[in-house]
Amino acid sequence: MTVGAETIRQQATRPLVASVRDLRVYFEAKAGRVHAVDGVSFEIRDGETLGLVGETGCGKSVTARSFIRLVPTPPGIYAGGEIDFWSTEARRTGGDPVDLLEIPHDDMLAIRGDRIAMIFQDPGKALNPALSIRSQMAEVFYQHRSEEILMAMGPDVPWIVRRAARQQTTGIERMLLKIPPWRAKAAQLRRMVDDLVSQALTETQIANPRKIMDSYPHELSGGMKQRVLIAQALACNPDLLIADEPTTALDVTIQARILELIAELQERLETSVLYISHDLSLVKEICDRVAVMYAGRIVETGTTEEIFSNPAHPYTRGLMAAVPSATHKRGKLAAIEGTVPELIDPPPSCRFNTRCPYAVDICRTTDPTDVDLGESHRVACFIYDTSLDSAVRPSRERRTS
Amino acid sequence: MTTMSTERGTRQKSTDDRAVITLRGVEKYFPIKEGALQRVVGQVRAVDGVSFEVRPGETMGLVGESGCGKTTLGRCISGLASPTGGKIYFRLPDAAAARLDEIDAVPENERTQEQRKEVARIDAEHGITQLSGVGWRTYRRNCQVVFQDSFSSLNPRQLVKDIVGRPLRVYREASGQELTEKVVSLLESVGLGRQHLYRYPHQFSGGQRQRISIARALALDPEFIVLDEPTSALDVSVQAQILNLLHELQSERGLTYLFISHDLGVVRLMSDRIAVMYLGKVAEHGTAHELFEDPRHPYTEALLAANPDISAEASEMKGLSGTVPDPANPPEGCRFHTRCPVATPACGWEVDDAVAWLQTNETLLAGLLDVERRSNFEATLVFSDAAAAGAVDDALQNANVPAPMMNALADLSSDGTRVHIRFTAVEPVALEDIGGGHLTACILHTSQGRDNRE
Repeated sequence: MTVGAETIRQQATRPLVASVRDLRVYFEAKAGRVHAVDGVSFEIRDGETLGLVGETGCGKSVTARSFIRLVPTPPGIYAGGEIDFWSTEARRTGGDPVDLLEIPHDDMLAIRGDRIAMIFQDPGKALNPALSIRSQMAEVFYQHRSEEILMAMGPDVPWIVRRAARQQTTGIERMLLKIPPWRAKAAQLRRMVDDLVSQALTETQIANPRKIMDSYPHELSGGMKQRVLIAQALACNPDLLIADEPTTALDVTIQARILELIAELQERLETSVLYISHDLSLVKEICDRVAVMYAGRIVETGTTEEIFSNPAHPYTRGLMAAVPSATHKRGKLAAIEGTVPELIDPPPSCRFNTRCPYAVDICRTTDPTDVDLGESHRVACFIYDTSLDSAVRPSRERRTS
Repeated sequence: MTTMSTERGTRQKSTDDRAVITLRGVEKYFPIKEGALQRVVGQVRAVDGVSFEVRPGETMGLVGESGCGKTTLGRCISGLASPTGGKIYFRLPDAAAARLDEIDAVPENERTQEQRKEVARIDAEHGITQLSGVGWRTYRRNCQVVFQDSFSSLNPRQLVKDIVGRPLRVYREASGQELTEKVVSLLESVGLGRQHLYRYPHQFSGGQRQRISIARALALDPEFIVLDEPTSALDVSVQAQILNLLHELQSERGLTYLFISHDLGVVRLMSDRIAVMYLGKVAEHGTAHELFEDPRHPYTEALLAANPDISAEASEMKGLSGTVPDPANPPEGCRFHTRCPVATPACGWEVDDAVAWLQTNETLLAGLLDVERRSNFEATLVFSDAAAAGAVDDALQNANVPAPMMNALADLSSDGTRVHIRFTAVEPVALEDIGGGHLTACILHTSQGRDNRE
């Protein structure tokens, strides 16, 4: 998906949906604090797809989960930074954003699954094996759409049915719902929710949704389960969809179909997407902008075109060279030597210095700052920091290791 | 030690006149058992008639989606599962292979006593299921496996020294100080060192654990290694390191690999020749270059189209509709026809396809009482009332029906509450050479298809 310069300029002026500033998430461990996310900043604009790329353990999933506060605390610690989020209303009225890390738990419950939804990596684990697809899907509507449903049912809804729609019924009340005066209304409520569920499933191109609703997760194939999860995530038409490696567990042929589906729904519903992946070739296909993470930090951001045609950071360049491609002839790959460093109380330094072929002294002692390379292209590397004296500055012409 | 050296089997100087592994119609069926008596009610055909050979020093790639039988085939070859049909030969000389071809051309019941004896002799000498004693040990030490999941393939309670030294101990190759030194040199050959000897697997990263697995596989200096998705659990930068290591080891030691993977980019990088598997059968087989530049099977084309490629210019990924069919009841004709974008009427349309198509509509099959199946190509659907039967009859003549399926319908008639469906019966598609060792099982490219079309 190549994006022209014109559309990039348009996108840069689009309203913000979320803005992450200096996010820090640490984990308490015996040996010290693991700096899983260590000062991450990026923005997501209306209707765009931002790809967050990086290897295992670079903190990309923790960053994503922070949006809906799914990082367990303890052992996690939100050590700083903020995630500002503008809902559709806030954007329309020019209102203030909410800080997702600060708002009370109840407000978070209202946002999670409604304004911000998430698709998880393994569809086999994200669905409850003991519940039918119908009841798992219905929960989204009971949780976030109960008032609208009650409104649509008309004025004379008995209190007990209202409680049922809000999922507040006790065991005795649920038994009471089975007796005549309330039975008809309860059935009407169920039918309405069923209609919504089947409508949501139809959106994801599931043929015969009524049959799928009555099945259990183990009866469905991986691709089908992922479709159900997408339907669940998009049921409330969220402002931001977080897709955490949604196709890693799927075969390539199914993966392509699921990505087509996400792209199509995104276009129709005008949802912004934060797409997390370790697969550079996938990100290239589907994202408008890309942020590359390494060891808890973002090392490079830019449009897909900028990143892929002109990668700046040595890590991004190394990563790209290491991806085998179908056009590669038989032979060797350019691998990045070494391993990811320990993130326990790291000293100020470029995190990539241990594996970087150009690293010099300054890389080992100072945190690099972001350098602008173009309109939207930023890189955290001393090679491009022209304010430095050339004697201490690393250079791409000079391999040091 | 003398017996040991025969066991290792001095690697023949000229290895051109034999294959390392030869598969001839290998089948692996798993029984489906049901009820209190565990009666066998059906069979999952995980591998269903696969034939190919792996020549010395080459890398054979095996690609396919999950559930296509590639791992099962790898397990059969490495002796971890015994095939239920067909033959796997180890170090089969070309002369013997030619003899087998000749004899195979003769129908089973017309073979002479001598021909039978000859087959039995070749089986006993090279067939891995009949090997015994020294032959079996020679085979096992020369055929090693590296598994996908290094968490579950390394014993968490053993030290690296014991894991890597275990094969040497079992084959009494070394002991004591000599063993330690051998383990050290093995670790060094995979990029680890003496400092790692006395550690447990959990102290290593995924890439390092996979290196330990490779060191263990190399311990007995094997000729052949089955690599079952060795890098699919690793990150790209680590994957590149491991793939490079495998390359180096191959050129240093003249190893032969069977490389199983679902990642087309990785397979292209590693393999000389590639077999594409679909639902237990080989769909296409050729050199890596042929397969990627000139694919001759729609499934290979679909895999290539769906594969995201970092170096491609703004490509559009295309997926496949539908899911992989049930291997317990594989489709007739070409097994790929249910998902094939270029399917023809001669590809093996059957009753199940018609039913699957009807099921996409919620209401059509609601009144279905019974299916009287005469064969996979012919059945009568019995409905509760004539209206439902009429609706199904109409639906199958509807313009929405996939055109190839519609054209394959030989007979469609409704009679009250009964709908009779009959498709033209077709033979299973055989793998055929379309020039220079490039094999495909698509009737668009084979002579079988040409005959059908004429």
